[in-house]
Amino acid sequence: MAGRKAGFDRAVESYFGGLYRYAYWLCRNRWQAEDIVQDSLLRAWRAWPALREERALKSWLFTIVHREYLRAAARVPRTESDAGAEEAGYDPDPGGALDMEQALQELADDSREALLLQVLGGFTCVEIAQVLGASEGAVMTRLTRARQALRRKLGAAGGATGTVREPRTA
Amino acid sequence: MNCLEFRRAAMLAPRRLDTEALGHAERCPACGVFLGEALGLEAQIENSLDIPVPHGLQERMVRNALDAPRISRRQALVAGLALAATAGGAGLLWQRDDPLALAGIDFVVFEEAQAILDAKPADPASLRRAALQTGIVLPAQLGELRYIGTCPFAGATAHHVVLKTAFGKATLLLLPGRPLGTRLIASARGLHAAIAPASGGSVAIIADSSRGIARIESILKSG
Ligand SMILES: [Zn+2]
Repeated sequence: MAGRKAGFDRAVESYFGGLYRYAYWLCRNRWQAEDIVQDSLLRAWRAWPALREERALKSWLFTIVHREYLRAAARVPRTESDAGAEEAGYDPDPGGALDMEQALQELADDSREALLLQVLGGFTCVEIAQVLGASEGAVMTRLTRARQALRRKLGAAGGATGTVREPRTA
Repeated sequence: MNCLEFRRAAMLAPRRLDTEALGHAERCPACGVFLGEALGLEAQIENSLDIPVPHGLQERMVRNALDAPRISRRQALVAGLALAATAGGAGLLWQRDDPLALAGIDFVVFEEAQAILDAKPADPASLRRAALQTGIVLPAQLGELRYIGTCPFAGATAHHVVLKTAFGKATLLLLPGRPLGTRLIASARGLHAAIAPASGGSVAIIADSSRGIARIESILKSG
């Protein structure tokens, strides 16, 4: 039992930041994110496997968070997000970070989810596909669309990413 | 690899380009520029997503998860009911971790999320009526109302309110028709709870800090 607890503790220690941030950027609300992560950890601990391969453990935890988010989103209308709210210890960089937040929010949900898993979780397309229950090809499309949209939006706003050049050769 | 293939790869996963792609970017000035922009965008995305994790949150959540199977909802409710009977009769019972107050904490830990998920559209008028009946007012200075609903708590129907206050998240459970002789408190699972007597019942306040609870109580009384 102590070994299981220690294993759980270690896994959470390794991935907590990513799991919390993933939940936050899915719902964009700190309270909901906390509820989602807490429910996910309760679920994870109840189903905690005796042995699990490290890599699989990580995508398993992210999958639980994703499902908890879907459960929450299906039943509760989206509450007001924290964007722009004063949060102790949370000072987004005023130069650009807010533009980026806005641009992220405007992405299609499935594109944003794939991008969050790639950036926050460090997952491959195959792993993202497993978490989201999509095909690898669909994930590749979503990631490409997400970055194209961000470049377009931030480029148009005169951001640091500047002009997007089309490739010269086909 | 040609330019189009390179750009596809860079848009898909700019941090995971293989040696062939990186070689292309070195040889092809236009794609070199494209890669620079792609990595710049990536850094912006990473910065933006890297919000701080609230201090102590991980420890609290792990503790909640590890402690969870030990106390079932039924046990928590039974403990709450037993104490309510005693406290209602004697009206003087006081202890450090009062079971009814603990039941309030367990409600927040185990039940609140599900209660919110299962909620039907809330009726603010019924909350006002319940507050009136309990003998409290809910002035705006309490903070933002994030959720209102009703839920079973310790054998009765409580009016469940989630607030965003200056001290963080707080939960109120209005218990009209449940008088209390004295204030009950508990702290567990990283949360604090107080059940305060009111003229027409009592109100449970569950929050991260006892300071937050004291502040809410003073607002409820001053209102
Ligand atoms: Zn090229």
